[in-house]
Amino acid sequence: MAEGIEESDLLRFVEGDCSPDEAAAIQAWIAADPRRGELLDELRAVWRLTGSTTRPWVVAEARIRLLRSRGRHAAQGSAGFSARPRLLRLARSGLGPIRIAAAIACVVAGTVLWRLRPHSAAFREYATPPGQRLQLTLPDSSRVLLSVGTRLRVPRDFAVSERSVELDGEAYFVVRHDPRRPFLVRTRQGVTEDLGTSFDVRAYPQEHFVQVVVAAGRVALRGGRGGDSVLSLRSRDRGVIDARGVLSATSGVSLGDYLAWTRGTLVFRYARLGDVVAQLGRWYDVDIEISGASGTAERLTISFATRSVDEALTTLAQVLDARWTRSGRMVRLTPLHRRQ
Amino acid sequence: MLDSHFRSSQPTRQRRLPPATPHSWESAFQAYYVELCEYVLRFVGSAEAAQDLVQDLFLRLWDSRGPRDVTRLTRPYLYVAARNRALKYLRHRRVVTTWIARAACEDTPPSDTPEDLCLCAELDDVVQRAIAQLPARCRAVFMLRRREQLSYREIATRLGVSLGTVKSQMWRATLRLRAKLGPYLARPAIPEGRAG
Repeated sequence: MAEGIEESDLLRFVEGDCSPDEAAAIQAWIAADPRRGELLDELRAVWRLTGSTTRPWVVAEARIRLLRSRGRHAAQGSAGFSARPRLLRLARSGLGPIRIAAAIACVVAGTVLWRLRPHSAAFREYATPPGQRLQLTLPDSSRVLLSVGTRLRVPRDFAVSERSVELDGEAYFVVRHDPRRPFLVRTRQGVTEDLGTSFDVRAYPQEHFVQVVVAAGRVALRGGRGGDSVLSLRSRDRGVIDARGVLSATSGVSLGDYLAWTRGTLVFRYARLGDVVAQLGRWYDVDIEISGASGTAERLTISFATRSVDEALTTLAQVLDARWTRSGRMVRLTPLHRRQ
Repeated sequence: MLDSHFRSSQPTRQRRLPPATPHSWESAFQAYYVELCEYVLRFVGSAEAAQDLVQDLFLRLWDSRGPRDVTRLTRPYLYVAARNRALKYLRHRRVVTTWIARAACEDTPPSDTPEDLCLCAELDDVVQRAIAQLPARCRAVFMLRRREQLSYREIATRLGVSLGTVKSQMWRATLRLRAKLGPYLARPAIPEGRAG
């Protein structure tokens, strides 16, 4: 049994402030008595309720360390891994000034290389390829779910004075409201300003419009041209900025339809076949070609809940009365009867 | 309500997995690094060790095996890999077996769903009230630590008190919150924040 450990030391353990050796001692102390384990669980629960992380993890620093070790490793083409812990161990065990000097030189060189990188970027960019979604938490603990084929750029100084992100594609935002630092989603054609909410922004470059659907709370949508026109949207409102920069709004839309993608389902209501096909292409990472492509302006109502591209294609083909063939990413739909 | 928007975040494809690119590696790192550190910290109790383990994991994914396919960069895979590494680390350091057995029961925290987030907002009121009811000095210490994430030393300097006082106030604050929030602590529906 470790000497001198008290209940209050559990806090240091929860926060991760122990050295590995201290942690081992405290672990033994906790394990010796189930009541200490219960107390630990409750302290962790208090921590979870009162903050988004238990401690300030420095992601930027970790990333630089990683890129450095990765870069060095790639340069050497050798089989080692994790250069940083090794360097540290070297330095700690004091194995002679030369090796330490070499290690420091490496680090300095790494730093210089890092600084010289063309993109010491002012942005962090998150991107999903077709067929993939990504959920992330921003530094202000707002959450974002990126849909397929989407790019989100987050400035390095995000949340310092304002919270502003750039979006190409579609994403669902659950924003932590902070009246002092408005949350802005910039898209090609306009800016969406959160006034305390959850909302979906869709701005695929190929579609030439921006669509904002509000699930809860309020949102202000500003047009890109001149930026003077503002639309105030509430829950179940859908705001659109069209290709010419004109704003319009619809009330009482079905959230289920517009947000279905966040649950892995695609829902289309009276949508143009061309749009359906484009979105299916992103969602399942395929290229769909309709031979005798006459009817891409045709409207259809259809939904896809499957993960399998083949099942989705079969559904679509049934509705269109067509046949489909697929080789790899390439899909061809052939109408069975000539449609106009 | 808004159903489970954030559930099943890895959709749609079983057939052809694209190779991971530097881009997907970077995205995965940015998205999961903190979550994984939090998770591994539960096993090891030392942030230093947790960071090293998670960093090693990412480096391994990139380096020795190369960025082969994107499944290795998905949340479920990363959690399993991180957990295995953490358990291996504990065995290697000969941490007491009862602790390892306890740690082995750590579940992967679920991704939050909007319902959770909504619940979270309700809960947030309760938590804010509980914090507001703390004695003034206790509250000041707690807020500087949890909200502004200052170190104990910085808090001592800021408030002009001793390091010992900061620690004891922090402990008192935590115990009081534990008493106040008791009914909420064990509820399984409580969102895990960032994978707490």
